[in-house]
Amino acid sequence: MGEDLDFFFSLVVSGASIGMLYSLIALGFVLVYKATEALNFAQGEFVMLAGFVAAALLTAKGMPVVLALIATIAIMIGFSFGLERVVLRPLLGRPIVAVIMATIGLAAILRGLPPITFGGDTRTVPLPIGDNAFSLGPATIAPIQLYGVIVTLLFLAGFTWFFMKSRKGVAMRAVAENQQVAMAMGINVERYFAIAWAMAGIASAVSGIIWGNMLGVDVQLALVGLKVFPVVILGGLDSIPGAVVGGLIIGIVESVASAYIDPYVGGGTKDFVPYLLMIAALMFKPYGLFGKRKIERV
Amino acid sequence: MFHRESGTFKTTYAGDMALYPLPVARGTVIALFVLFVVVAPLLLADYYLSIINLVMISIVGALGLNILVGYTGQISIGHAAFMSVGAYTAANLAVRLDLPFWVTLPAGGLMAALVGAVVGIPSLRIKGLYLAIATLAGQLIIEWTINHVPWISGGTQASIQVPRPSLFGYELKTQGQLYFFVLFFCVLAIVATLNLVRSRIGRAFVAIRDQDIAAEIIGIDIFRYKLIAFAISSFYAGVCGVLYTYYFGIANYENFQLGVSIDFLAMIIIGGLGSVLGSILGAAFVALLPLVIRTVMETVGPLFFTASELPGIISSLRLVIFGALIIVFLVLEPEGLNRLWRNVRNYFRVWPFSY
Amino acid sequence: MVKVTRHWAGAMLLASAIILGAHPAAAQQKEALFGLHCDRTGATQNVGVFLCPGYQDYIALVNSKGGVEGFKIRVLEVDNEYKVPPSMEAHERFKKEGAVLEGLYGTPQTAALTSKLNEDKILGTSPGFGTAAATDGKRFPYIFPIAASYWSQAAAAVEFAKKQLGGNLKGKKIAYLFYDNPAGKEPLPILEDLAKIEGFEMRTFAVPPPGVELGAQVLDITGRYKPDFIISHLFGRSPSVSIKELKGKGFPLSKVVSLVWGGTEADVRAAGGFGIAEGYHTIQFAGVGDEFPVIKDIIAMYKAQGKPAPKEIETTVLYNRGIMVAAVHVEAFRNAVKAKNGAMPTSEDVKNGMERVKGLTLGGLVPPMQLTPEDHEGGGWVQIWTVKGGKFVKTTEWFQAYRDLIKKHLAAEAKSK
Repeated sequence: MGEDLDFFFSLVVSGASIGMLYSLIALGFVLVYKATEALNFAQGEFVMLAGFVAAALLTAKGMPVVLALIATIAIMIGFSFGLERVVLRPLLGRPIVAVIMATIGLAAILRGLPPITFGGDTRTVPLPIGDNAFSLGPATIAPIQLYGVIVTLLFLAGFTWFFMKSRKGVAMRAVAENQQVAMAMGINVERYFAIAWAMAGIASAVSGIIWGNMLGVDVQLALVGLKVFPVVILGGLDSIPGAVVGGLIIGIVESVASAYIDPYVGGGTKDFVPYLLMIAALMFKPYGLFGKRKIERV
Repeated sequence: MFHRESGTFKTTYAGDMALYPLPVARGTVIALFVLFVVVAPLLLADYYLSIINLVMISIVGALGLNILVGYTGQISIGHAAFMSVGAYTAANLAVRLDLPFWVTLPAGGLMAALVGAVVGIPSLRIKGLYLAIATLAGQLIIEWTINHVPWISGGTQASIQVPRPSLFGYELKTQGQLYFFVLFFCVLAIVATLNLVRSRIGRAFVAIRDQDIAAEIIGIDIFRYKLIAFAISSFYAGVCGVLYTYYFGIANYENFQLGVSIDFLAMIIIGGLGSVLGSILGAAFVALLPLVIRTVMETVGPLFFTASELPGIISSLRLVIFGALIIVFLVLEPEGLNRLWRNVRNYFRVWPFSY
Repeated sequence: MVKVTRHWAGAMLLASAIILGAHPAAAQQKEALFGLHCDRTGATQNVGVFLCPGYQDYIALVNSKGGVEGFKIRVLEVDNEYKVPPSMEAHERFKKEGAVLEGLYGTPQTAALTSKLNEDKILGTSPGFGTAAATDGKRFPYIFPIAASYWSQAAAAVEFAKKQLGGNLKGKKIAYLFYDNPAGKEPLPILEDLAKIEGFEMRTFAVPPPGVELGAQVLDITGRYKPDFIISHLFGRSPSVSIKELKGKGFPLSKVVSLVWGGTEADVRAAGGFGIAEGYHTIQFAGVGDEFPVIKDIIAMYKAQGKPAPKEIETTVLYNRGIMVAAVHVEAFRNAVKAKNGAMPTSEDVKNGMERVKGLTLGGLVPPMQLTPEDHEGGGWVQIWTVKGGKFVKTTEWFQAYRDLIKKHLAAEAKSK
């Protein structure tokens, strides 16, 4: 019995830590949606791009690690910023599907570019953090995952503070609430869109570094983007704590389901149990666990 | 090529809603009929017919998705899964019961419609992007089920070989023969959609899309019509899946994964939401653009790259150009190719007197 | 409706005209066309970007040495993005331009083209993918796996495990860690039979796509099941994740053997390098490393053109497979030309030529396969290569395993249809 319990505990720890890393990617997604109501279908490709940048910088000769990490974040901020300016701003006020489609187009571009510029090889993101797993009772956790969890929690605290307390954050919430009214109140809406994308760039950069270290960097790194949807829907598309809680739940459910249900049904439940959970949740809370309820008026 | 309306006046509502807006249109339909039924198969080589076949099959699927997304306003990312439902239904019926295509094809459509209606149930509560993700769940669950239930999938390979369709004991297997097979259903789908959207049901769909609460107030049973929209849309998807099955001679769920759903969304968004012409243009665009890019690159590429570099560069550039064109289109004309076409037409309609 | 279709027709014709106009009839004398399906941008691009250059470079090498029996080979490569409709389009294009054979790419694509290839009488090769049943040349006359099928690989994996565990599997526990798609499940019937024959216990652990995370499966394996050996059959990113996770949980990688798509240099690098993956065994259907004369020739060919060899050559596992596929194609074509006394063979002639391929070694890069009208797999030969001291080291010579069992399954499969 004790061993069973230990096993269960290990599963939960493993699921929770990986779930937090899903949350990290989801944060980039939520930040954009929260401010601009744009759904970024290229989130996985953003992570991949950041991974490529980080891989190139970290393996460059004579580049200190800290500088390389900062430069990665800076480049991703610049990229997101430029992207908002060139692609998404002209689509402002256009139907939501147009924005979705633009991000799908962007995803195609981002998948096409690395083989030309970086080559098809799988690259690594070497980080000086060692390989020795940390123990947590009977469970162990890889160092990169632990750092990932810490970063996610820091982001959670930071972004929550930003939206709740800082002047800019409050303004951004106003923009999200109603763009027209925000404009009328003298808020420079476009500027806040740019800030939101830049913040998403930070989240993407950090996701790229951490996931890149875990998986290696090639075009397939973009697949991690698929994991974002159940996380954000469960938590609510526009909620930062929601992204984290959603990630935790999805990670743990995946982990436990695959160990306890798979043997009976032939495997692969990990793939859709989170979605089942999500649909169930949506039937009762159509805007996610933490999402803002919208009241429609005719 | 361009109809001039002058001298045509509509005096009844029925006239306004007619399938042929202008008398001259009848002539064009006949001309098109001759072009597609007689001229094209005689003149075009198998290769071009194979491309047209693939485009026509995807038109059927795109029309279905446009009914749901474009006309009813319910976003779905699970379209490809309904195709696989149709494909496996037809394949099982064709192999186990030895049924001909004119039974399996509607059966595949109906089964897909049933499954589609079930997946559509969350639309009662969930809207917009949340619904999109609920349909994504539908996609993954259907994929998983087919993969894990050998009774449906026919074994670990999850693929069922089907015999070629036959008509009066005559087997259709060359691209030319399959061309007529696919053309028939493609035209049927186009005509059916044109009629659907001007019917009572079609107008109810549009009302739901534009303002669902208002639609409910004027007496439209929203839940019922949403489910009908899901069912009809999935019926088209199912038929599309059956057509793929007969065309390739095999039902295989790996042909209908998430990426395919997104491709179909791309078709209708690029083509134009809520437009039959848009579905057709979009399907053709998404299918043909990679070919055009590749052909151009194969022609001019050797000037810049060596033979061993070229294939890799073509592949990557094709993605980049494809993505870039989508974005450029959206920035220039977010309502899609259909709108672009109307703009061009309206310009020429009054040409050379633009006022 | 009218306007609708009319303009669609216009657009179609215009597009067709562009495609038509851009293709001058490329029928030069003494040139043969090989069609190559490839995936450099889709779901399996991490294989295609190395395998296809290997194929292209080998053909270029053959041409630079004067071609095959006086024929230059032209390769027409089409990227199918691992999607099915483009592969049909590619096939029709190859057919139109007169290709004598096609290198297929991808399991669903192979399935979708099987009946078309039969009808058009053009052979397609499906090395390391497609269905194992295609070994049966009577049932699948125009499909040639030309490399160990998943069944043969699974049998070889069990044979290897048996050897590693002291020659007896009775009462041992083997975990089968697989990618949860049809390709991943294909070895199951063989493994289940072998479990009965050899008396070992087997449990399966599925990894659903995209397989970027294996925490729970690996915990289940190492923490609960505690197997004596792991047979791993993963694709894409998941092999590297599995190596990393197993290592992290302290499972000895020398007790893991991976089927052919889970053991490339790229997987090892992504897992954290050769140091991390030390001991990891992989099954290979083509030789690994650059110690082959043909690779030196390719490097020399590039040097003669004043260029460095392409970077892809360093991922030898996949690059060499491209060479192997190309070499088998060339050999089949050579047999066909010889049979026609130097005249241009038809695609049917090439199919007959393919069924006479044997004794091709390429300095050990190609297994000692022998293709016959009955056996399109060529015997199911594999080698085991192991990560050792910073590179892949050959652990076994070419071997085949449990052929009788596989023949039994092939016969049963043929009867069921």
